[in-house]
Amino acid sequence: MHHAESLSPLDSSDKLDRAAVREAAGWLVLLHEDRQNPQTLEGLSQWRVADPEHERAWQRAQLVNDKFGLIPAQLGLPVLGHATDSSRRRAIKALVLLMTFVPASYVAYRSTPWREWAADYATRTGERRSLSLNDGTELELNTDTALDVQFDAVQRLIKLHRGEVLIDTGADPRRADESFRPFWVQTRQGRIRALGTRFVVRRDDDITRVQVYDGAVEVQPRHTATRQVIQAGQQLSFSADAVQLPRPVDPHGADWSRGLLVAQQMPLGEFTRELARYRPGLLRCDPAIADLRISGAFQLDNTDQVLAALPETLPVNVVYRTRFWVSVTAT
Amino acid sequence: MPSSDSAKQQCGALYVAHHSWLLGWLRYKLGCTHDAADLAQDTFVRVLTSRELQTDQQLQEPRAFLLTVAGRLVSNHFRRRSLEHAWLETLAALPEQQVPSPEVQASLLQSLHEIDLMLDGLAQRVRQAFLLAQLEGLTYARIAERLGISVRTVKRYMAEAYEQCIMLSL
Repeated sequence: MHHAESLSPLDSSDKLDRAAVREAAGWLVLLHEDRQNPQTLEGLSQWRVADPEHERAWQRAQLVNDKFGLIPAQLGLPVLGHATDSSRRRAIKALVLLMTFVPASYVAYRSTPWREWAADYATRTGERRSLSLNDGTELELNTDTALDVQFDAVQRLIKLHRGEVLIDTGADPRRADESFRPFWVQTRQGRIRALGTRFVVRRDDDITRVQVYDGAVEVQPRHTATRQVIQAGQQLSFSADAVQLPRPVDPHGADWSRGLLVAQQMPLGEFTRELARYRPGLLRCDPAIADLRISGAFQLDNTDQVLAALPETLPVNVVYRTRFWVSVTAT
Repeated sequence: MPSSDSAKQQCGALYVAHHSWLLGWLRYKLGCTHDAADLAQDTFVRVLTSRELQTDQQLQEPRAFLLTVAGRLVSNHFRRRSLEHAWLETLAALPEQQVPSPEVQASLLQSLHEIDLMLDGLAQRVRQAFLLAQLEGLTYARIAERLGISVRTVKRYMAEAYEQCIMLSL
């Protein structure tokens, strides 16, 4: 039942330099604001080499972020948001707060028949992001995704430039309200019309893949007159010229929106390709072991940990040539 | 600094002389014999692995020393219990398809507990701002809006929380 935790005053070993810790904290604050800022990154790397104490503090600072990376927000906030005294009331309050958010925007939408909305959104590699649009539609952007939202008087249009998005359309399209505007997703390969629904659109190089979990959508490839309806429980891929026949949907195809990659007897080659989408740099799998099968639910927010666990279940080695160049090889 | 052998001997002597009243004290604090036995054990493990012991200082006042260590373990124990409570209620409120598997649950709960300890003692506002940034990935501007404070204050809170987390991480 009891786990070994650090009890600060007794753990005098490995004392960090307080000033270095304060500065490391300052860098974390800057990085949270903008992870890509070249000035920040340059300043940080200079600071790290300036003094071994700096580097030591920085290594520990990394541990802090790693720890948080494992926690899904919808679980972490209500649990950790509790105060030490009145934990339960606060946990419940936090949940209620989260729950009332969506209906509020929906009500706002109902009282104003339509509103213009234009914006660009993007996620970096390894990042996911939720958006609530003003018609009540919820978007989940997966790793390395870019899209534009263009809502106007006649239509609601999402242009998916790259990546993957889970769409939960808010309003009921069947209601005979004059303010009803059709909902479209556009990719280079064609258009998808939502018929009141929850579905995932993913863009790879030359194809668009659509998975439908609720309702239905209609696919219209760019260069053909074909129209194909995909019902709930089905998925298909299409190019600009052709549409596949619908197949049963992958029941775990939207699990990334919960931060999970669920594999059931997945070939290791495919598994590493999926994982690679969530990490910067290269992740390679030796073809000799690409057919090994792997099963389990893996946390996408900490792919290093997922990789580290591979040798425990499979006869493989994970070789880090650099932090951004990793190979999975046969033992 | 004495050798680790002599430290072990000291601890052994400490165990014989003090285990029984410590167990009694813990049972009174916790109201549970099992937990008390566990924590008594943990207390002596802590003492054995603590560096301060090797400096002999605490041995002048063994009872006070043991009570300090055990007291910290007790508050830790209650913290964990209240966290587990909040955890179970949160899980119960989740839609069924979002409930993680038991293995994932166990490791999440452990991580949550470690984070909870890192955040111990931070002001409620600081904690809130920090969690919104770390868990929801909100920008400082959004956090400022949500909590009704200035962006500068948010940054100050973030720095304070990060600093404490780095000191207590391991």
